[in-house]
Amino acid sequence: MKYIEALSLQEALEILAGDDEARCLAGGATLVAMMNADLIAPSTLISLRRIEELKGISAVDNYIRIGAMNTHSDVANAEQLLSGNAFVIRDAARQIAHPAIRNMGTIGGSICHADPASDFPGSLVAANAELEIIGTDGLRQIPVQDFFVDYLETSLQEGEVLTAILVPTTHSQAHGRHLKFSRTHGDYATVSVSLVLSMQSDVCNYARVAIGSVAPTPLHLDTVDNILTGSKLNDDVLDDAANLLQEACDPIDDVRGSAEYRRKIIPGLLKRAIAEALG
Amino acid sequence: MSTQLDHDVPNTSIGKSIPRREGPEKVSGKAIYSDDMSMNGMLHGALLGSPYPHARIVSIDKSKAEALPGVKAVLVGEDLPFNYIGMFIKDQLALARDKVMYVGDPVAAVAATELSIAKDALRLIEIEYEELEPVLDPEAALLADSPVIHDKRADYPTMFELPKEPNGCCYTELMEGDPNTIWDQCDVIVEDEYTVPAQYHMYMEPVSTLADVDGSGKITIWSSMQSVGRVQMYVAAAMGLPMSQIRVIAPRIGGGFGGKCEFTNQPITAFLAQATGKPVKMTLSREDDMSMMKSRHGGKIYMKTGASKDGTLLARDCRIILDGGAYADESPEVSPIAALFSRGPYRIPNMRVEAWSVYTNRSRASAFRGFGNPQATFASESQIDDIADKLGMDPMTLRQKNALEGDDLFFCGKRIESASIQACLEKVKQASGWEQKRKQTLPAPPGKRRGIGIAAMSHICGLLASGANVTLNEDGTVTVNSGCVDIGQGSDTLLSQIVASSLGLDLSQVNHANADSDSSPYNFQTSASRTTYMSGNAVKKASENVKEQIFKQAEQILECAESDLELRPGGFVGVKGVPEAVIPFAAAAGRSIYQEGGPIMGTHNWIYTPEDKMDPKRMLLKGFAMMPDGVGILTFAAQIAEVEVDEVTGQVEVLEYWAAHDVGQAINLASVEGQIQGGVVQSIGYALFEEMLWDNGRLINPSMMDYKIPGMADVPYKIHPLLIEMPEDSAPFGAKGVGEICCVGPAPAITNAIKHAVGARVTQIPATPERVLDAMQNNSDC
Amino acid sequence: MTNKQIVKLEVNGDTHELLVQPTQTLLHVLREQLQLTGTKCGCNNGVCGSCTIIVDGQAVRACLSLAVASSEKEITTIEGLEENGKLQSLQQAFIDKQGLQCGFCTPGMIMSSLALLAKNPSPSIDDIREDLSGNLCRCTGYVKIADAVMSAIEVEQS
Repeated sequence: MKYIEALSLQEALEILAGDDEARCLAGGATLVAMMNADLIAPSTLISLRRIEELKGISAVDNYIRIGAMNTHSDVANAEQLLSGNAFVIRDAARQIAHPAIRNMGTIGGSICHADPASDFPGSLVAANAELEIIGTDGLRQIPVQDFFVDYLETSLQEGEVLTAILVPTTHSQAHGRHLKFSRTHGDYATVSVSLVLSMQSDVCNYARVAIGSVAPTPLHLDTVDNILTGSKLNDDVLDDAANLLQEACDPIDDVRGSAEYRRKIIPGLLKRAIAEALG
Repeated sequence: MSTQLDHDVPNTSIGKSIPRREGPEKVSGKAIYSDDMSMNGMLHGALLGSPYPHARIVSIDKSKAEALPGVKAVLVGEDLPFNYIGMFIKDQLALARDKVMYVGDPVAAVAATELSIAKDALRLIEIEYEELEPVLDPEAALLADSPVIHDKRADYPTMFELPKEPNGCCYTELMEGDPNTIWDQCDVIVEDEYTVPAQYHMYMEPVSTLADVDGSGKITIWSSMQSVGRVQMYVAAAMGLPMSQIRVIAPRIGGGFGGKCEFTNQPITAFLAQATGKPVKMTLSREDDMSMMKSRHGGKIYMKTGASKDGTLLARDCRIILDGGAYADESPEVSPIAALFSRGPYRIPNMRVEAWSVYTNRSRASAFRGFGNPQATFASESQIDDIADKLGMDPMTLRQKNALEGDDLFFCGKRIESASIQACLEKVKQASGWEQKRKQTLPAPPGKRRGIGIAAMSHICGLLASGANVTLNEDGTVTVNSGCVDIGQGSDTLLSQIVASSLGLDLSQVNHANADSDSSPYNFQTSASRTTYMSGNAVKKASENVKEQIFKQAEQILECAESDLELRPGGFVGVKGVPEAVIPFAAAAGRSIYQEGGPIMGTHNWIYTPEDKMDPKRMLLKGFAMMPDGVGILTFAAQIAEVEVDEVTGQVEVLEYWAAHDVGQAINLASVEGQIQGGVVQSIGYALFEEMLWDNGRLINPSMMDYKIPGMADVPYKIHPLLIEMPEDSAPFGAKGVGEICCVGPAPAITNAIKHAVGARVTQIPATPERVLDAMQNNSDC
Repeated sequence: MTNKQIVKLEVNGDTHELLVQPTQTLLHVLREQLQLTGTKCGCNNGVCGSCTIIVDGQAVRACLSLAVASSEKEITTIEGLEENGKLQSLQQAFIDKQGLQCGFCTPGMIMSSLALLAKNPSPSIDDIREDLSGNLCRCTGYVKIADAVMSAIEVEQS
């Protein structure tokens, strides 16, 4: 295997274009683990660590732009992400695994891996984020839910690199919460609830909910958002919302829990997440 | 043998929290564990395991592997001498021949210049298998129509007659009183079925061995293990070599918990060294360790307990089926121990238990801290609570009413040296605020419910044989050699403390020699909570032997009678009442090696034999039980858990834990506390998080990602060890072992607390959130 | 066949020019090429924490770091803590409070604790439990490890 540190996005794209078994190396937390387990053997590893455009968190137009190479720790500690849509992302980042992993893993690397049990996918959907992707044809921007296609599968095309996560600065007064239920502290979520909510006195005027670890991709239903919006978030409303989620989810049996169990606990966790977001 | 501290020995450290002597090397990265070692020309070894749970080996072609550059040896079963090894039943070979019996059963081994090359070579070994029907359920395995795993068992050398059932490994039946007719007299009967998991040891240091062969063919082994003598014996037996040609040395060991008892990969690594003429190091990956090595026996316990309406326990009937996996290993010790402790620390006059270890085609079940007792006690302590519940009685009161006292005998007529269970119960009751907390619904945050539960337990400490040598150096310092392997529990420090406290020396004046089969006396193993009791006694008496010889020299030098002499702090002997009449130990040493007497060397050896043997008139034994005659003295404890249950998810958090243990005398206070806290946490894992999961014989969670042990945030910080010190006459400074008993209680203490919190009985552990939620929902339905 | 590459690593204040396979982890290279065996391998996939080292002031997993990707970083291993044989107060605290038994998790535990204390000189018990949650120990039950970290805080403060 060859290891190259790309000095620019251009260089990275050129290498990717020329070698279809080349992989990008972000933080390495997942990639190196897979190499250690002999699950992958890339021909070339292109490190993105030197590319400036992938770093930093800044305000750009109507977004907060999070560079793909920000570590989970960077995201978890970012002052720019303390309110509005961004808060749920920050909340998710601080609950990923353990400090040493958070210091290494990157938001870009993590979402390109697209593990539905991980914390970013659901939180990005709840935040209504968009993704900036670069290819040899230039930049494109897509809603994050179009990015997650299936278990460990994204819509990233061959030769493309995810460059940034764009978080809309709308709903600046919204409350956010990433509720993670896991077997042990730092484990992957058995079920997670990510939400962004805005209240006008006791009426909800904006809601966006995503459930993690219950389907191959984050579970988001417009119908759920619509039931919550305009309501007082009382138990009947939340039960209706939860029922929709239970019907639509497609969980599996695995070491963290059975499909039936995951479905069963969605209502209680949804209510809890809302209470914690507002509390 | 004195029960108290010897008042005439000054400068003792008994009861103090002396820091670990090897602490500085462990905190600085200087401690050398097996995989840290390197030798000139060293090769790396790797093992290939069977992909099938049960199959015949049809053919093996290793030519491609052998041809890979860097590969120096490829061994398969047929290359090795046909020597069965095993503890009670010799049913194992260093590499499988003819048949493989679990997924991961080692069938080939490679030594190469680099580990990556060795792993590549494994992939090039072509093996054709004929799959056989796997035997995966231990109860079905006993039925007449079950496929037989060990079809050659008639050829195995064994210590006892194997059961007739097709895959029976060990059967034990114990009976006392008249358990058949008593049930009519019981006012309340509880009957239930309990399921316990296979728990994996998860020592932080994976199995690792370095083997070297010298010009004369002598094999030297450094390994992560729990006994130099046992490894030496097995390697010799596997290789068909005399033990005098095998040397085994203990490096630092990163935990064992029973999983590194007897042997692991030492025989096969030694074979690779012999085949290549080079040192070979084989360190297993975590995944290989989990799938190829050992784990705790899982299984089922069927139990029925009866009592009269005033809460007197009258009868118990119990059937224990333990899944022993593909090879016997320590199964013939584990299931009899489970049987022995299935009556708990109570008087139950009519008792019958039958316990099975059964062969199945899963990986090997073996020794694991507690040894069958945690399994049996999970059932027993759950039933005591359920009886209390039916009688409307406080579970603590019921236990106090029936707990062993005074001259009561333990199950099978085993004598109780110190009946401290009542003291443990009382202590833990007071410390936890039990009475107040049980009377009420405990306040809890919204969406959560809290409860408090108790378990009482007993275990043994002591087993088989230990020796020790203590030698006096010319300058008056000493060296103690016990052959004891410190696997992290602190025996290096503990044994040094005993020697120092027997001779009035500072700890810095005591050298603890590393366990090395070339120079150490025999010591069975670091297991069975036996080190403090067995090796502790051996080193204490050896030290006293040294003291006698020092005194003999001192008599001459100081011109007085032996009875006039006393030890003084820091390695001095003086005449009582005459401060200026004093000599250093060095003077005695000097006189002994230059003038008269010969070098001062103390020695002691002994084997544990109980004073009373099992009384065949009192109780009936069928089948095999090396115990209870051979096992050591009894110890007792009582533990209480306070838990919080999440009503939405069923997740259980242990908020606080109290563990009252009769330790006789804590020699190193912090070490005793640490053992208790560590054992409690390991068993919180057993109670709530850990189970090995198989799919058709293949382990589906062989990684730390999928099999979760508790981390710091998953267990309470407030784990209170409460020590009761009722010194044991036969023990060194009265100290008894505590290493295993602390593991026995947490599972039932926690499930009893869950019952108090939410009213539901969980009979399967781990009590995962899913199982607890199910129990809660089933409970509210009925 | 993999191609070895040269990488310059700065470890414990010393610079080393090493020839490594690009697939080799920093854990492997530290242990095998630099004989810094204090950093341990307990799982090789980042879970157990025994391989925790400090890189540019942050706790990271050596088993998930590639050696080739570790140039221009300040790497500190457990061996780099003592000065002329004198232990740091945190190391001494682990000894004094018996925050260790078999010792295999200890280097990683100490490195994680150091990284925590550098960020937050007086963490609460909950901060400690959170930050050390990724360092697994099978022997101690964690109580005395927390005690050791807290006592080191007291030593530093006085």
